[in-house]
Amino acid sequence: MSSDLMIRAAGVGKSYQFYTHYADRFKQMVFGRFKKYYRDYWVLRDISFEARRGESIGIIGRNGAGKSTLLQIICGITTPTYGEVEVNGRIAPVLSLGTGFDSELTGRENAIIGGVVLGLKRADIVRRFDSIAEFAAIGQFIDQPMKLYSTGMFMRLAFAICAHVDAELMIIDESLSVGDTAFQDKCKEFLRKFRRTGSILLVSHSVAEVSNLCDRVIWIDRGRIREMGKPDEVIPKYQSAVHEEHDDASRFLIEA
Amino acid sequence: MIPAGKSGTAPFGWLALPFATGWQHRELIRVIVQREFAQRFRGSVLGWIWAVIGPLVMLSAYTIVFTGPFKVSSTAESGVGHYALFMFAALIPFNLFTELFARAPNLMRENAWFLKKTIFPSDTLGWIALCRALIYAGISFCILLVFEIALLGTIPLTVLLIPFVLVPFCLFLLGVVWFFAALGALTQDVAHIVTSIMPLLIFGSPVFYSVADLPEPTRSFAYLNPLACFLEMTRGLVLRGDLPSLSVYATAWGIALVVFWGGHAVFMRYRSIMVDVV
Repeated sequence: MSSDLMIRAAGVGKSYQFYTHYADRFKQMVFGRFKKYYRDYWVLRDISFEARRGESIGIIGRNGAGKSTLLQIICGITTPTYGEVEVNGRIAPVLSLGTGFDSELTGRENAIIGGVVLGLKRADIVRRFDSIAEFAAIGQFIDQPMKLYSTGMFMRLAFAICAHVDAELMIIDESLSVGDTAFQDKCKEFLRKFRRTGSILLVSHSVAEVSNLCDRVIWIDRGRIREMGKPDEVIPKYQSAVHEEHDDASRFLIEA
Repeated sequence: MIPAGKSGTAPFGWLALPFATGWQHRELIRVIVQREFAQRFRGSVLGWIWAVIGPLVMLSAYTIVFTGPFKVSSTAESGVGHYALFMFAALIPFNLFTELFARAPNLMRENAWFLKKTIFPSDTLGWIALCRALIYAGISFCILLVFEIALLGTIPLTVLLIPFVLVPFCLFLLGVVWFFAALGALTQDVAHIVTSIMPLLIFGSPVFYSVADLPEPTRSFAYLNPLACFLEMTRGLVLRGDLPSLSVYATAWGIALVVFWGGHAVFMRYRSIMVDVV
């Protein structure tokens, strides 16, 4: 395959096994080859798309449509049930920003841990620390335990770390809406610059954000790609569909 | 991105694989072990000194109890001058084992965030748990040596050979951690099984007694417990100045390597499922 491709997903599907009783999970392990003890819940089916290097893709869809699972598969956190995914480049997963922070430790300590978890060398983070602190712009709080942070400060630090890991692909799961307008502007400015060299994969419910940052939009509905194309083509269709649909539980049906 | 460790194309790549991932992610392991310590002692005035006080109190209590009220007959001491030392020398590796054994089934659940939200080489969790437990065992070990000098006035030179026992013991422990972490992630029952059998372990292992003290029919079965050879070897080197017999040492390595590779293979086999289950 050409090195020009950043992401290639070919017919990806993912099902979770739903068990009625907990003991069934055990029966499945032992007698699985004779009988099926679970029901499949298909989160994703037949997802195929490609992203070129430098291309930014937005993923939209309603709750439970499978957006986050798709991101997890692309990151390699979970494996698809069928199909295959290839990613050529270093990923910075900004999934649930900052949930891994330890509130007893200071921002500085958490930044070092976070950076190493994202694949940087310890020395690199120490070297870039001033720049991280400047981006987060939380002043003296950087050396205080994170339990003293406000939600906004938490997210500021988290995004600042992700912005410093030299990624080629940034995977962002609805996290840009954090922080005040000034910080959001800073993040968007960063992402605009980042797009010149890298790709962004953005999941968001804010269509404005998606149309601002992305070259292409994938609309996922109940685990399948419903539309894919330019933001100004897909987003209006998505919006009118959301208006027409009822917000009921039928979308979360588990098939036998 | 942290790549999940891949074995080389060499035909025996799988033998090196568990070591390779540990080495590749050594910085990650170091930083997270540091974090766990910082977490534990932050918010207390004495900080890390608490890690020393625990084993110090324990060994002092043993010393007082076993020299005073419960003076043990010299035959039970198997050539060691002091029963408290005799016991503590085996208790250190024993506690190292039980701490990891008890923790392993919940390891994946405790670290669910790493598994679900970041690209994380989950087998390093075994190395992290081991490093953490080793530091505590090291502190206890230093206290043991201090007491040995104070009570007996001398330490046998064979104590310098401890690393030769420690290396296979660590491999054995890692294998155990991986194995039970994988099973424990799949079902919570494993954690309950482990807590249920834990109290029995101390009687089945030569901590309060020595294998040599056992009556003949039982003695032959004592080494069916893989812990037994590690505990006896440690005690021999630290207190008596005995070198382990070649057969015991070879058995220890054999067990260690089988458990190590086996545990890692089981872990890797279930690794992709674990993320979706925990």
